[in-house]
Amino acid sequence: MPCIEIKNLNFTYSKKTPYEKRALKDINLTVDEGEFIGLVGATGSGKSTLIQHLNGLIKVQDKKQSSVAVNGMSATDKKTLKKLRFEVGLVFQYPEYQLFGDTVAKDVAFGPKNMKLEADEVDRRVRRALEVVGLEYDKFAERSPFDLSGGEKRRVAIAGVIAMQPRVLVLDEPVAGLDPVGRSEILALIKKLQKEISPTVITVSHNMDDMAAMADRIIALKDGEIVADGSPKRVFCNRRLIAEAGLDLPAATRITDTLKARGIDLPSDIVSMDELARELEKLRKRGLLKAERSAESDYFGKAQQDDLSELSGEDDDV
Amino acid sequence: MSLIELKGVSYSYPVKEGYNVKALRNVSLAIDKGEFVALAGMNGSGKSTLAKLLNGLYIPTDGEVLIDGLSTEDDANTFEIRKKAGMVFQNPDNQMVATIIEDDIAFGPENIGIEREDIIRRVDKALEAVGMSEFRRRTASKLSGGQKQRVAIAGVLAMEPQILILDESTSMLDPNGRKEIMDIALKLNKQGITVINITHNMEEAAIASRVIVLRKGRIAMDGTPKEVFASGQLEACGLTLPPVTQLSRALMDVGFEFDGVVTSEQELVEGICRVLK
Repeated sequence: MPCIEIKNLNFTYSKKTPYEKRALKDINLTVDEGEFIGLVGATGSGKSTLIQHLNGLIKVQDKKQSSVAVNGMSATDKKTLKKLRFEVGLVFQYPEYQLFGDTVAKDVAFGPKNMKLEADEVDRRVRRALEVVGLEYDKFAERSPFDLSGGEKRRVAIAGVIAMQPRVLVLDEPVAGLDPVGRSEILALIKKLQKEISPTVITVSHNMDDMAAMADRIIALKDGEIVADGSPKRVFCNRRLIAEAGLDLPAATRITDTLKARGIDLPSDIVSMDELARELEKLRKRGLLKAERSAESDYFGKAQQDDLSELSGEDDDV
Repeated sequence: MSLIELKGVSYSYPVKEGYNVKALRNVSLAIDKGEFVALAGMNGSGKSTLAKLLNGLYIPTDGEVLIDGLSTEDDANTFEIRKKAGMVFQNPDNQMVATIIEDDIAFGPENIGIEREDIIRRVDKALEAVGMSEFRRRTASKLSGGQKQRVAIAGVLAMEPQILILDESTSMLDPNGRKEIMDIALKLNKQGITVINITHNMEEAAIASRVIVLRKGRIAMDGTPKEVFASGQLEACGLTLPPVTQLSRALMDVGFEFDGVVTSEQELVEGICRVLK
């Protein structure tokens, strides 16, 4: 059974007003447990509208035609909607702006408390969540979240979501605004969360390099429609489609194209700098080998001629 | 005389009673007219504090900041300094004061008592400079992040400043928005405006003429992008080399050669073609 199942999902903002805008058009999508999805698309393509359907923050408009379900819990059924909210953890863009507790522990406890868990279970989960995001409980629990650094705040916000132990974790631009160290820390954390807590991860990002490196599957949206769905290699191979969707190529893919235009023979499906470096190394070795061979054959060719002339010289003597 | 001068500047701010954070420690620095400076460093390195010292939003705890010879410490200069050094902040949603774009841009010049005709001229020119003329009568709320930042830059330009300070102005934008802002910054710099771009994005730092790296409130490095990237000190400052520079390094390990440090895609491609062709 797929983990996420979306059928014929449509959504229109400001219906029946001059500002009416169709944000999602006939979205059909299934995601299996364990997948790491990179959800990409230009600003306004419908990414946020789509992910907010996953835990019922946006209500399905046409319940007859459309359905959204996660692990069998339907977003259109009131009875399962509340459970669904705990099944799908949503980390918004700049989640640190939403911290509100007067201590880190209270902030992280908010979600599990809402789940009506026993006090000691709430406490256990808060400890676990802080530990997983790399914030030592004894050091951070009683501090005000507002006294922390930007990166620490973001960790607290993520801890607050994973304390609910959602099976699906959805993150909207999780590294936006962070410095390089903060970025790589949070990206590593997301991989760790997938392993330890939420096996299915959907990350919204504008950074194609990150997505090519991390995602098993890229889903690209354009004007509310899915225009590409597949492995990073497959999706980024379709240059025209990527351009039409207003997306960037990964830096390695872009450089590959420039090199190919200059006549260097590279595969089209390179999506990482490591791959590009390996391919270029291969070409260089092949070039060296060729140069060596042609030098060798020049040498032998010349030597043979010398031998022949020597022979003919001897013949003359005879 | 340099356009911007910092003489032994320190700045600390109180967090709790009796507990101060020293954001900048004894920083001395001179920036000349026409430079394009990237001010880089990890979060907490003091780069935004430095930016806010440049137009008198902060006053140094020690030392002195001079903008075109005027000290920021003297209240009488504040008005003049803010006209000379305009600042665009990080969050595009926090900088609009009016609902209609042209009103927003006119706000600054109106405040300093510019004549109506001159305001109209300035607004026209500023909108044109950032490529937003056709949006002049639209509402700001319907714009993309990149467009909002362009409007914010236009608001600064309407004051006819000598210095444009971008305080992580691209960090909340998507790649297209980021590129739009950098292209405009380069164009304005060519027209003679001194640009100071506060960033931790090294691809942005690579297009500057000079990179100043801060670490724990001190200047750790100051040089051309090539000098700074070649130093081997970036990681220690919490920053990473731009992807093209990283790739060139990986290729050098396997026998490729480049003319000096690679900071642009073009240099990378030329270097590779030289070896493979």
